[in-house]
Amino acid sequence: MAGKYYNLDSMLKPKSVAIIGASQSPEKVGHIIMQNYFNVGYSGYIYPVNVGGDDTILGRKAYKSVLDIKKPIDLAVIAIPAKFVPQALDECGKAKVKSVVIVSSGFSEVGDTALQEQIVSIAKKYGLPVLGPNCLGVMDLRSRVDTLFLPTFKIDKPSIGGVSFASQSGAVGSAVLDLISHENFGLSKFISYGNAAVIDEADILNYLAHDPDTKVIIFYIEGVKRGKEFIEVAKEATKLKPVIIIKGGITPAGTSAAHSHTASLAGSYAAYEAVFEQFGFIQAKSLDDMLYFAKIFEAQPLTTKKRVAIITNGGGVGVLAADSLYLNGLEMAELSEEAKKSLRKVMPPIVNMSMPMDMAGDADDKRFGAAIDVLSKDENVDALMIISLFQTPGADSRVAATIIKYGTENKKPIVVVSPGGNYAEVHNNMMESSGVPVYPSPEDAAKSLAALVKYSEYRERMGSLDAKDKNNKKSKRDNK
Amino acid sequence: MDYMKAYDLLGRYKIKALRAAYVNSSKEATDFARENKIVMKLISDKALHKSKSGLVKLNLSTPEQIGSAFAELAKKGEALKPYKILVQEQVGNGTEIIIGGNTDPQFGKLILLGLGGIYVEVFKDVSVRVCPITEYDASEMINGLKSKQIMLQDQRNERIIKNLLLDVSNFLVKNPKITELDLNPIILHDGTYDAVDLRLMEE
Repeated sequence: MAGKYYNLDSMLKPKSVAIIGASQSPEKVGHIIMQNYFNVGYSGYIYPVNVGGDDTILGRKAYKSVLDIKKPIDLAVIAIPAKFVPQALDECGKAKVKSVVIVSSGFSEVGDTALQEQIVSIAKKYGLPVLGPNCLGVMDLRSRVDTLFLPTFKIDKPSIGGVSFASQSGAVGSAVLDLISHENFGLSKFISYGNAAVIDEADILNYLAHDPDTKVIIFYIEGVKRGKEFIEVAKEATKLKPVIIIKGGITPAGTSAAHSHTASLAGSYAAYEAVFEQFGFIQAKSLDDMLYFAKIFEAQPLTTKKRVAIITNGGGVGVLAADSLYLNGLEMAELSEEAKKSLRKVMPPIVNMSMPMDMAGDADDKRFGAAIDVLSKDENVDALMIISLFQTPGADSRVAATIIKYGTENKKPIVVVSPGGNYAEVHNNMMESSGVPVYPSPEDAAKSLAALVKYSEYRERMGSLDAKDKNNKKSKRDNK
Repeated sequence: MDYMKAYDLLGRYKIKALRAAYVNSSKEATDFARENKIVMKLISDKALHKSKSGLVKLNLSTPEQIGSAFAELAKKGEALKPYKILVQEQVGNGTEIIIGGNTDPQFGKLILLGLGGIYVEVFKDVSVRVCPITEYDASEMINGLKSKQIMLQDQRNERIIKNLLLDVSNFLVKNPKITELDLNPIILHDGTYDAVDLRLMEE
């Protein structure tokens, strides 16, 4: 597929960056972008460009044009008023800049398609990968590139991890970034691509699919520019890694052919849903779901089997969990006789061996540990849902530590349900930072687990479910 | 596209519609019926919802029934010129489904399956896929419907619907100029099917 899609390496791992529109005035976007480069500790060359003619900006020698730099430039970030962008872009082409991010707005999103067309034709003339316009640009936590014009103190930055996030909308993008750090999973790359004038969804999906640092892709789209190419790329991408997608603007657009039944039903959102379903995307219907799904895919193994064991230290939440399994197409595990026997030895007599297993309100880390240990080994169990209610007398940091121990080395997916306030939150953060996905409700946990199973089934069907991803390889029993 | 032309074209892709003919008189209609039950329809570009507008006459078999239906449709046709009158064998009871095809500006040909008749618009219980579809996709289109159990009351229907979906997908892919297709309804009965009404739109 090489050649048909832009390679974004020079944009995401640049050795040198020119910031066009860099400024001494702290309120200017160009100033914030440049300041951010210092804040995140970018180690490549930074060249501020400003037509105003300051000698230095933020302590660096400033240039009037990229043409004056006369050194190799991997990435130019353009943050100047829209009407000046074509000239700046043309100069980037002449200076042999390898990639460009245009953060400026005022193009097709406000109806100025002519100005946007100008950008497209300049980019084509030089074969230049251009991101935007009207976007936040890119952030790569490993290469420490950050073109976002958001003051760093206003947004929590996630830690380094395996999830890459592409967003058409900058606003959704920055809000989700903030939330990602709150959900405690690690980010690899963030790409906000705005109007997709040159680099579009297909290019980005293709790049992230082949990016070794990206384990999970999350994608916010409102539409795609090249439908056929998007499908072509998707077929390959979803075989390699989970792609969680959320589409904004799902009310049926007015169809020109509304005179037929078919046309009025298969409106454009129906087409998107068909594409998501058919080509292995994991569709999220809300931002919460998008983050919940990302969390389980980042840290837990895939499984095509759906017998879930539930252990809890509170009966009622266990009942809700049983309902949520059923409602999401999952099954309740039935423990093997060996497992029941082992559990009877370690559980107090009041604990019933049927699912969901209520270990009682005084369950401590030892009880949790023993149960998880037995269930992890039971071949009748494909996944574990652990409900740890930190409001109970027995649950404390030792319980969290025990769950972390098993949740990070288990061959079966583990999800934790832990609703609660500050005390629970502290422990939830501990668990999540270690790679154990924690959910506020059994419903959210079951939905995420169901998404994991559905995607695993897709991979198996496509013949791309690695042996190492599969759980219960040796299990003789199958679901029916 | 003209009904009979569409009938022939789809026939080449193993998609069979009911035996039908255009008639110019009640005599021709009576000859077509040969005392079997027939349906008579008024075909006009100006008439989109035939059954709602009383442009479909059912259960005709005697020359009297056929004669009065022809006269009534011919009268209604005056307001919908140009028009033609089509006669068709009438099939018995069965399960009605709809299969549709459409062209999405982004993703190309789409195929749609739903329970037929009036229900498709009420419940919006349809599944859609991008063409070409695989056999798995065809199965999942059926599995994705709430009305699956109604559709598959007769177990043989599953195979029929799957094959039909694959044939329609193949037809849509090989005929890029057909922008829309509407097989509505298709009646599943006795281990076979009949496409009762068909519409093809060309670009």
